[in-house]
Amino acid sequence: MKAGVWMTLIAGLVSVQAVLLPYATVWGVMPDIGLIVVCLVGLFEGELEGLLLGLALGWIMSLFSAADLATCMITKGAVGYVAGLAGRHVVYLAPAVLLMGILAISFMNGLLTAALLNLSNQQDWWWAVRTVVVPQAVIDAMVGGALYWLVWSRLNIQRWVSEYRT
Amino acid sequence: MRMVNFRLPYNTGRIALVLAAVFLLGFLLLPSQLQGLFQQIGSPVGWVLSWPLRAVAGVQEGTAELWDGFIMLRGVAEENQKLRRELEHLKGQNDQLREAAAATERLTALLEFKKQANISMVAAQVIGRDTGNWYQTILLNKGQSDGFKPDMGVVTPAGVVGRIVKTTSATSVVLLVTDPNNAIAGLIQRTRDEGIVEGTTQGLARLKYIPLLSNARPGDQVVTSGLVGGFPRGLAIGTITKIDKDEGALFQSAELTPDVDVGRVEEVLVIQSPNVQSEGERLDAPKVKSKS
Repeated sequence: MKAGVWMTLIAGLVSVQAVLLPYATVWGVMPDIGLIVVCLVGLFEGELEGLLLGLALGWIMSLFSAADLATCMITKGAVGYVAGLAGRHVVYLAPAVLLMGILAISFMNGLLTAALLNLSNQQDWWWAVRTVVVPQAVIDAMVGGALYWLVWSRLNIQRWVSEYRT
Repeated sequence: MRMVNFRLPYNTGRIALVLAAVFLLGFLLLPSQLQGLFQQIGSPVGWVLSWPLRAVAGVQEGTAELWDGFIMLRGVAEENQKLRRELEHLKGQNDQLREAAAATERLTALLEFKKQANISMVAAQVIGRDTGNWYQTILLNKGQSDGFKPDMGVVTPAGVVGRIVKTTSATSVVLLVTDPNNAIAGLIQRTRDEGIVEGTTQGLARLKYIPLLSNARPGDQVVTSGLVGGFPRGLAIGTITKIDKDEGALFQSAELTPDVDVGRVEEVLVIQSPNVQSEGERLDAPKVKSKS
């Protein structure tokens, strides 16, 4: 059951990321919905789930991108694991903390990706930070905050998960 | 601020740590083997995932068509689309004819025509774009099962779109001509000077390594040279808009505007057998047609 839910989630995320989000760019950058979901899952479900979902999403998304497979898997896996570790120590969660957390994780993920990808000479460090890393971190934080507000607050998914577990 | 209890108690931290370490070590010690393995396993996974991708692309396309067709002046949009297609087709035809005329002057036109006519192409539909922000790519609805392989050239009647860099069983990733990581052998049609066409971070392209003595100028057409890669000779790449000559540089370079609007491509042709001339064939003197 759980595996089916994860697979459906991955298939949905990849489809949305590859087909719909390219039409929703801000400053020429689209949000990384995979990273946001991995971050939230790591935070709320733990480092193992975050890591596994990150590795799986990184792998699947690399099949539909020119990006290197290892880079995608390592960066997304690391995001899930770090979010899981952070979630272990969180007792109180304010929306501002969540936004800042996603912003920081997306920023670090962008820097790591820029370092790992074998980009052309034109795409130097400053270009990467200015045109991709910072805008994407800001957009990811906004979308992540909105997603959290929608799913966790409005749909009260935490209660459903608790009921499902009991 | 509110109190939350995020998860049930469990002891999986160590498992996660070991798993992360194993993957990291694997990618460090056996990078190509592990990537090859994942790519192979990914091929059927790609086929499975191509269905939701196509479904979402179909819904998206349907919605866009509905919007264009009924809400935004149906007749005008249809006519505009028809005229744009016709213009692209005519532009492509014009470039091919110009290239053929240049080749005739060098007494190789017949051979060129025959080879160009022999190109085997397969049509494919664009169903998506890159899942990240680092590369400019498009996603096609056909893959290995249709004979697509990495390095095959992708074109429209207007000119070059890019080349395939990755395939699964049912999808292909095409790196666009405007991506800085792409390199295609190009040729200035008027001066016959060869160079390498690379994308730029501004979404344009640049022809590099033009000889200093070349008299290339803005407005010159750049076409594929057919020397390397998955393209035959003479396919339009772009038009020169600016020439850059740096003091003391060994070569000059030129900024190009690609002939294909890569942001609006919907259907493409994948070149399966570019019939690229070998160096020997290229340098061979043209044969005189015997009288019979």
